Amino acid sequence: MLGIMLPLVLLPLLSIFIYGTSKGLGTFWSSLIAPEAIFALKLSMVTSFWATVFNVIFGLFAAYVLSRYNFWGRTAVIVTISLPTAIPTAVAGFALLLLWGPYGLLGRLLNPQGAQLMFTPYAIILANVFVTFPLAFGVIKPVFDTMSRSLEEASATIGATRWQTFWHVTLPSLRGAIVSGALLTFARAVGEFGSTILVSGNLALRTQTAPLYIFAKFNEGQIEAANAIAIVLALLSFVIFSVLFFARDWLEYEAQEI
Amino acid sequence: MIAKMKLTPDTEQVHVSWAPDRPQKTGVAASVQGISKRFNKSRVLEDVSFDVAEGESLVLLGASGSGKTTILRIIAGLEQPDKGKVILHGKDVTDLPARERGVGVIFQAYALFPRMTVEKNIAYGLKIRHRPRKERRETVDRLIKLVQLEEHRKKYPWQLSGGQQQRVAIARTLAYKPQVLLFDEPFGALDAQTRVHLRREIRALLRQVKVPSVFITHDQEEALELGDRIAVLNDGHLEQVGTPDEVYNRPATEYVATFLGAANLLLGVVTRGRVEIGTALLPAEKETRRFRNGQSVKLVFRPEDVCLSPDANLPDGCRRLANGVIQEVNFVGAYERLIIRLDLAHRPQTGELAPLYQVTINTPEKMTGVPIMATRPKPDANATKYKVGDRVAVGLTSFSVLPNYTLAKQR
Repeated sequence: MLGIMLPLVLLPLLSIFIYGTSKGLGTFWSSLIAPEAIFALKLSMVTSFWATVFNVIFGLFAAYVLSRYNFWGRTAVIVTISLPTAIPTAVAGFALLLLWGPYGLLGRLLNPQGAQLMFTPYAIILANVFVTFPLAFGVIKPVFDTMSRSLEEASATIGATRWQTFWHVTLPSLRGAIVSGALLTFARAVGEFGSTILVSGNLALRTQTAPLYIFAKFNEGQIEAANAIAIVLALLSFVIFSVLFFARDWLEYEAQEI
Repeated sequence: MIAKMKLTPDTEQVHVSWAPDRPQKTGVAASVQGISKRFNKSRVLEDVSFDVAEGESLVLLGASGSGKTTILRIIAGLEQPDKGKVILHGKDVTDLPARERGVGVIFQAYALFPRMTVEKNIAYGLKIRHRPRKERRETVDRLIKLVQLEEHRKKYPWQLSGGQQQRVAIARTLAYKPQVLLFDEPFGALDAQTRVHLRREIRALLRQVKVPSVFITHDQEEALELGDRIAVLNDGHLEQVGTPDEVYNRPATEYVATFLGAANLLLGVVTRGRVEIGTALLPAEKETRRFRNGQSVKLVFRPEDVCLSPDANLPDGCRRLANGVIQEVNFVGAYERLIIRLDLAHRPQTGELAPLYQVTINTPEKMTGVPIMATRPKPDANATKYKVGDRVAVGLTSFSVLPNYTLAKQR
């Protein structure tokens, strides 16, 4: 097992750290605090954060509606929501560009007003939302589906309004699912490359996210600069993964007692 | 483990009433009137009506699929009837949503809120009603004491036993003084021993709090023990509503007779104050009064109402039915169970005293007798022992005569 995992996973990761620190920690540090690098990291965090907020709230809402109500076209909605998982991210970015770009179907209407959505941080958020929407939804919906209706019914017979029931009974039971859904979305959004590079325009200090920065610096031959950010992103994903992995018992236990 | 509950009420609790503060004019706490319900084309309930008196406990007894859960959900407001009304303390609540009805439902798996401690679960009803903190604390204190969970008040539901969870569920509903308590198969999830124990606890608790209650169950033993009255439900309609004594000893229909305990059924015809079954004539002046001569009837009697005698001398109060042969003797713990084949072919001669010997089980082709089941308590079984093949006189201490409808729609 280790024989396979070593060359496939561990060695490439290890090489980031070995190479990144080979010219001394000083070089690593100065590459890291370069304004472009800091901007790229910040932009990635901020856009991913808002994409996560949006997707958790709407994922929660969509999961609630789709597991509690049966209506015509319900399956179609579920399929549509889950579709982005199967779409290549470059295609997603390209599609967004065609719709919202200066000559796009909707972008054409925005343009005369002097508004431009593409090639701005908002475009990045939009692309992140598009690509990661199925993640939070996919984690939250099964918990809704398996959650016993009698809890909500009990709350109703006790005298609670629908909102009180949601706030005091449903939401606390979803805590685990919301946390893991949010972490998955965030992790995915931070690393998003294919759609972002198309919709952002990859403008340094304006719309360049961390993965785009790695790509750009690598193309310019500035391996150390690319490597420093790569280390930060790798560490971040380790942290998120550890939380998901080691808190799994806690998260699953949450799901069980419902 | 299940804590023992005291069956005597605490003196300081005697004055606390958990019953709703409403003028009790009629004495009827809850009333279901002409309820009908269909789910997709299939009929679930058909014109069901019954009342629950103040402080009374009524058991809805029926097999699974009889519609009993639907009735409960309709009373609670979790389901809407197609026809009919639900009236709680004189007020028509049919169109009110569940949260405005003020009923207490004890769900089958208790449905305690997993994120809340025992205290918080109990306080929930008052919290969402925005009652002052002091009132909440006092009510919770009293209820926790009432259901004897003082040392568990900070625990979460998963840390409690099934019985303790059930008590939390009851306390949680009592906190807002429910109009009526509805128990959905309250002991379904528990093992047999715990079940018997909890049944007594709940009975004692309900006597104390005096809140009218509706139980649903498919367990006849549970129904007989919990109910002041029992409503027997069969395939969406009520067969009989009555006290445990009435439904058990005077079943109105064949279904009730066979669903509540074991029953023997024999087909017969009413003949001048008697029931004629084959050649046997059972005197039944009172029981046949509502039938006309020649009407086809069913004779229904319970195994414990059968009396036997090795000669023709049956005990007093026992009406002679026929003769029979013992086919099987089983000792089943508390009592003895016998299968007897009745001879209903031979007509006894007048003045004939000795039992007849027409029925025999020695040869299969002669197994023409009608089998019935009888049970005898241990003292009787020890006083007169029977073995397979013994001939006996068979009499009945009590029985019911029901019309024999050939078609269900004649009902």
